[in-house]
Amino acid sequence: MATAVQQQPYRGGSGYVARSSSSGLYDVLELILDKGLVIDVFVRVSLIGIEILTIDARIVIASVDTYLRFAEAVNRLDLMSTETQGLPELMEGITEGGASSKTKGVLQGAKEALFGDEEEEEKDKGDEGEERSGRRRSSDQTTTKRRRRSEASGSGSGSSRRSKKS
Amino acid sequence: MADSDRKPRYVYGVVRGDGSTPAVKGIAGAPLELVDAGEVAALTSVAPAEYLEAGREDLLTHSRVLEATLEQGTVLPMRFGVVVPDDETLRGRLLEGHREELLAQLAEMDGKVELTLKGVYDEAAILRELVAGDREIGYLRNAIAGKSEAATYYERIRLGELVAAAFAARQERDSAAVVEELRPCAVAVRVGEPIHERMAVNASFLVERSGQPKFDRAVDEIGKREAGRIRFRVTGPLPPHSFVELEAVV
Repeated sequence: MATAVQQQPYRGGSGYVARSSSSGLYDVLELILDKGLVIDVFVRVSLIGIEILTIDARIVIASVDTYLRFAEAVNRLDLMSTETQGLPELMEGITEGGASSKTKGVLQGAKEALFGDEEEEEKDKGDEGEERSGRRRSSDQTTTKRRRRSEASGSGSGSSRRSKKS
Repeated sequence: MADSDRKPRYVYGVVRGDGSTPAVKGIAGAPLELVDAGEVAALTSVAPAEYLEAGREDLLTHSRVLEATLEQGTVLPMRFGVVVPDDETLRGRLLEGHREELLAQLAEMDGKVELTLKGVYDEAAILRELVAGDREIGYLRNAIAGKSEAATYYERIRLGELVAAAFAARQERDSAAVVEELRPCAVAVRVGEPIHERMAVNASFLVERSGQPKFDRAVDEIGKREAGRIRFRVTGPLPPHSFVELEAVV
């Protein structure tokens, strides 16, 4: 949407905390779907795909699938840490995004399936496409898993949330 | 009775009766209109015919309309997706039926905004921390190392289970600590569930506009302390989504 509202400018700060005054989808999805005034007698429109995805994120943690991914993450970490024991190097890696890109796809997987990458989201606020999950796959082993979840989620009807009264 | 009185309306939020619409378009490009009932008014736009399914663009429009309204004054945001069949229903079921509540909440929200705080763990940092902090995790990890996946299937599930549990405990502790540290800077706080696996903190703070710098400084302090471990993001000022509610009317 090209006509993004110009909000108050970035509020400064130390550089340790990212700030956005105008909301991207990632930042407000939960708020506008789950919070705010609502009255049951009113019609609520359904939202294809996105609602079911937010539910998916909440249940994903307690599954064998998840456990195996955690285990994989820890094992891979082991291999990495044989070379990089020192704290300074660890810090550097994190700051530069190096370490996190190496281990990407483990905890990151569910998030990307949900929202796309956070930074990416910032860049393409104008993107009008509703299907985001097919983009920008990394080539690590979790790709298959992630894609599967995205597709399953993307085809959901959102009906489970629609029927929820609040 | 004008034609538009009988058209279905998408409802963004509630403002005072003397409020004005912001200079942005509503859903499907429709102009924003106030439907008022004396002291309170609903911020709406005529909904497209057969408007039953919404997409990403509509979510963003909802959000941007409300943010633009917030710049002009106090607004009580509706949840996404509320459509009323006609103006009479809107007045009866919302504006008149809840007048006292709405007025009270408008007064309560004057001069306040919602700021959301999300903290996301650095994956490598948090996993290292969990491995170092739990003997059984370390032991299992060593036992599995170098063996085939098939031969260690159950050990790997057990390892993952332990890591997931340790992670959840750590997350709960970190979230609580951050929220408690920021609580003095806010009028009210709502702590949400993590919405993805790597999330450390997901909370909303109702903050006086005048108190925003204090809040910002406090978050910066935390961000500096947790650098390399948790990456924080503050979004706002937003309308007070997490702090408005209506009593159900029977």
